[in-house]
Amino acid sequence: MEYGLKPLGREKLWFWIMLIPTLIGLTFGALGSILATLGLSLTNWDLLTPPTWAGLSNYLALFDNPAYFKALTNTFKFSAMYVPGVVIVSLFVAVLMNRKIHGVSIFRTIYFLPAVTSAVATALVWNMIYGRDTGILNFILNRLGQSSICWLCSKNALMSVVVVNIWGAIGEGMIIFLAGLTAIPREYYEAATIDGAGLFDQFFSITLPLVTPSIFFQTLISTINAFQAYDYIYMMTRQGQGDSSVPVVVFSIYRNAWNFFRYGGASAQAIELAVLVILLMAFYFWLERRYVVYE
Amino acid sequence: MTKTTQKMLLDLVTYAFLFFGAVTMLAPFLWMLATSFKLPADQFTHTLIPNPATLDNFRKLFSFDLNFPRLFLNSTIISLLTVVGQLLTCAMAAFCFAVVKFRGRNMLFTILLITLMIPEQVTLIPNFIIFKWLHLVGTSVPLWLPAFWGGAFGTFLLRQYFLTIPRELVDAARVDGASLWQIFLRIYLPLGKPALAALAIFTFQGSWNDLLHPLVYMPNVPNTTLTVGLAFFQTQLTQGGRFTVLMAGALISILPLILVFFFAQKQFIEGISLSGLKR
Amino acid sequence: MKKILFSLVMVAVLLLSACGGKTAGGNANNGSPVQITYMEWGDPAELDVWNAIVSDFEAANPNIKVNVDVSDWDSYWTKLKTLLAASTPPDVFAMDAPLYLDYQSRGVLLNIQPYIDSNPGMLDGLFPNTLTAYQTPDGYFGLPRDFQTIVVFYNKDMFDKAGVAYPLSNWTYDDLRATAKALTADTNGDGTIDQFGYVIDPWDFEPGMSEIIWANGGDLINADHTKTLIGEPNARTAFQFLHDMMFIDHSIPDPNTSSQYGGDLFLSGNAAMMAMGHWAVPSYAEAGFKWDVVQMPSGPSGQATSVNSAGFVVGKDSKNPEAAFAFIKFVLSTAGQTRLAEMGFACPVLKTVAESDAFLKQSTPINHQMFIDSLSFAHMKPVFKGYDEWSSTIGDGLNPMWNGEAELNPTLDDIVILADEVLANNK
Repeated sequence: MEYGLKPLGREKLWFWIMLIPTLIGLTFGALGSILATLGLSLTNWDLLTPPTWAGLSNYLALFDNPAYFKALTNTFKFSAMYVPGVVIVSLFVAVLMNRKIHGVSIFRTIYFLPAVTSAVATALVWNMIYGRDTGILNFILNRLGQSSICWLCSKNALMSVVVVNIWGAIGEGMIIFLAGLTAIPREYYEAATIDGAGLFDQFFSITLPLVTPSIFFQTLISTINAFQAYDYIYMMTRQGQGDSSVPVVVFSIYRNAWNFFRYGGASAQAIELAVLVILLMAFYFWLERRYVVYE
Repeated sequence: MTKTTQKMLLDLVTYAFLFFGAVTMLAPFLWMLATSFKLPADQFTHTLIPNPATLDNFRKLFSFDLNFPRLFLNSTIISLLTVVGQLLTCAMAAFCFAVVKFRGRNMLFTILLITLMIPEQVTLIPNFIIFKWLHLVGTSVPLWLPAFWGGAFGTFLLRQYFLTIPRELVDAARVDGASLWQIFLRIYLPLGKPALAALAIFTFQGSWNDLLHPLVYMPNVPNTTLTVGLAFFQTQLTQGGRFTVLMAGALISILPLILVFFFAQKQFIEGISLSGLKR
Repeated sequence: MKKILFSLVMVAVLLLSACGGKTAGGNANNGSPVQITYMEWGDPAELDVWNAIVSDFEAANPNIKVNVDVSDWDSYWTKLKTLLAASTPPDVFAMDAPLYLDYQSRGVLLNIQPYIDSNPGMLDGLFPNTLTAYQTPDGYFGLPRDFQTIVVFYNKDMFDKAGVAYPLSNWTYDDLRATAKALTADTNGDGTIDQFGYVIDPWDFEPGMSEIIWANGGDLINADHTKTLIGEPNARTAFQFLHDMMFIDHSIPDPNTSSQYGGDLFLSGNAAMMAMGHWAVPSYAEAGFKWDVVQMPSGPSGQATSVNSAGFVVGKDSKNPEAAFAFIKFVLSTAGQTRLAEMGFACPVLKTVAESDAFLKQSTPINHQMFIDSLSFAHMKPVFKGYDEWSSTIGDGLNPMWNGEAELNPTLDDIVILADEVLANNK
């Protein structure tokens, strides 16, 4: 993977031109914001008066905070269920759609629908579906002779919400994998078929290895999304002002920043969340070195 | 079992899975569609065909004196600009990361990825202060200008894809005396179409559905985007139990995205052929 | 291809810079009209009324132009805080009374006492208990715009159908409980209750919890805001009463159940009675059933309800404070208050308008007088620095209890400790 063209002579100029927009964006945009967040996390800022120095107290306060640990646990549990779910299901769907079948455009559009819709509206629909007394799921269960399940009660809420989030993300994963799959030359499959390789063999020895770049991408992005997931969880489990029966760290960040005048504390929580994701990311990169195949 | 029977069986299984999955994907939307045509009194019923059906909910949406066409136009222009910005800059950056050898390449890429991890709510205020200092608050510029500075998501996506493009093509082009820029333009851009299409879709959707940034930078209706206009009603509609209107609004705001997707997805049909490089 | 792309970009940029808006707020410049911004949260329908008020105001004050910005509750506070953080506050903006001190104590509000002093008698016509929230030792930093008292909304059709008599204004909590029980039923015979006698908000004190606590002789917080009092005996009795209604009578729906019916069980026809304020009147006007209002019931310590107000404040860094105050003064005058009254979302703070037909005979034909009469036994919704955090801590703590997962007494014990910590952190 250490491949690379070396820019020669005047090409160096082109190289810089191509990279400059991103560099500017990094320094002033993203990096600037990250440094600002880091800086603010060391202060107590209520948005309205000048920040006061707080040192590491915002970080230390997190250890003392059982609500925060509960949120952190929920975030991890959510991610552990969500990431594999999204990657596997959307890869499966993409593989199916990559075959030459009729009406694939329609299928693709249908599968992509959930990804484009506003979470507020669809979350309400899912509330209707999951409703204990009035919901469609239980309606069907009852018809089949089973008793109702309380899908959104604390016991089951996390699972139910994970399902909705996966539902909403399949479309995007599908697109990523479809793009990755089309990069695999058909000649490989043709050659394999001539050699007598069966379908499963072809999948595991051709498709899977060559789609690992996309798997790497999708896993990383899904993890980041899982840690920042907000819309569906909130709309479906909300209780009162900003709380929920399945609190995740992001709720705490938003409430502290926007309702409780504790922007410094919120920044600290955001940084901590980012650090956790970075650790995971390091793990993914290690996996990449070992398992991801670029041609 | 003959090859054709095997293929037919496979097709059948494929169709079965896809169909079953499609029903799950579609079910909530069918319900949304049905509800948007129902009377408020019927909003909780399970029927898929509203009886009686009404156009009232849509009428109500347009009666809200929101200047929908203007909001629509604003959203469209901003989203299009964002897509252009991202495609341009992310493709160039991804090319650099995937193909060009330079010192600190891996470290820079890692830093780029890290920027994905801070939630936007937290970076909002520092960014706002910068744009306010530039006197750009109240215009749409803060919404699309950052798209021209690259982006971690897009660069990452394209870089992964670019890495799968066969090196032999590049080596051959090099032998023929192609410059870096020509390689980018003539090899990576055309062959990268599926990933570019994917990025275009995601970027358009992200911009179209963005609520936080237009809320803060373009707070006044009708000089704002569709999402802000709709948000105005959402709380009122959800608390007031008027789901029928909310569903109608949600459906309308999805339509453009579906259209964009439908057209953009044609790019996925193309694949790479190893034989011959189209000059 | 690239050429097309570039021209597209150029055109779009030109288009957008042409139709991009102006930056908020302009300065007075040798006699040209002063421009001020007024920001508030509200219903989209309110925008029309505010525009009408603004045209009346601009007609009377030709050198001032007002730009009205209305958003929904959540968006409003995000926008406001962003603007304040960047030191570009709106000139006049709406403030929810309980949050007032959070902003005033942080120095972002203008002290308008001098302007009030130069307009003697300006506050005389206003209801005194709406002014209390805004008084500070240094004077007024804001004024009330309209007020809300909580009453019980009841569905007349549902009462008629069950043959239950309408509540009387001197009813007690025991009456409420009995009535609610009589109206709780499973109307479609599917084994689950879908009609509830009484609905309260289990997280925010204002619609339903604070009233019964006060009626029982308890309180929410002590006078200097250092101790949370919801764990005291009188308050506990009140919570127990509601808890019993929820888990023994099943006449109050628990949060899991009510979330299935969307946000508002009264409007959807699933509740016979609901503790609510005047802000719901315009949207309930479109309900498909007949309804009216009655005062909150009385408890052992008499009748009690909650009074709250939406006020206006002026940004400290506003460049046009005189114009801003002139606008406030106008909205508090008969002309402004009358328009607001007709809009129907709240009760006017100006006594004469509150007692006039403009308010009492507004478009929805219910007993609006009840809201005004309730003022005589209304307690103020608490106002102090850190209110949001404090009430969120309590709301969060109450969740498991209302979900049936935690016992009442230990829960209240724990909440009081956490809430007091919040109070200490906010001093």
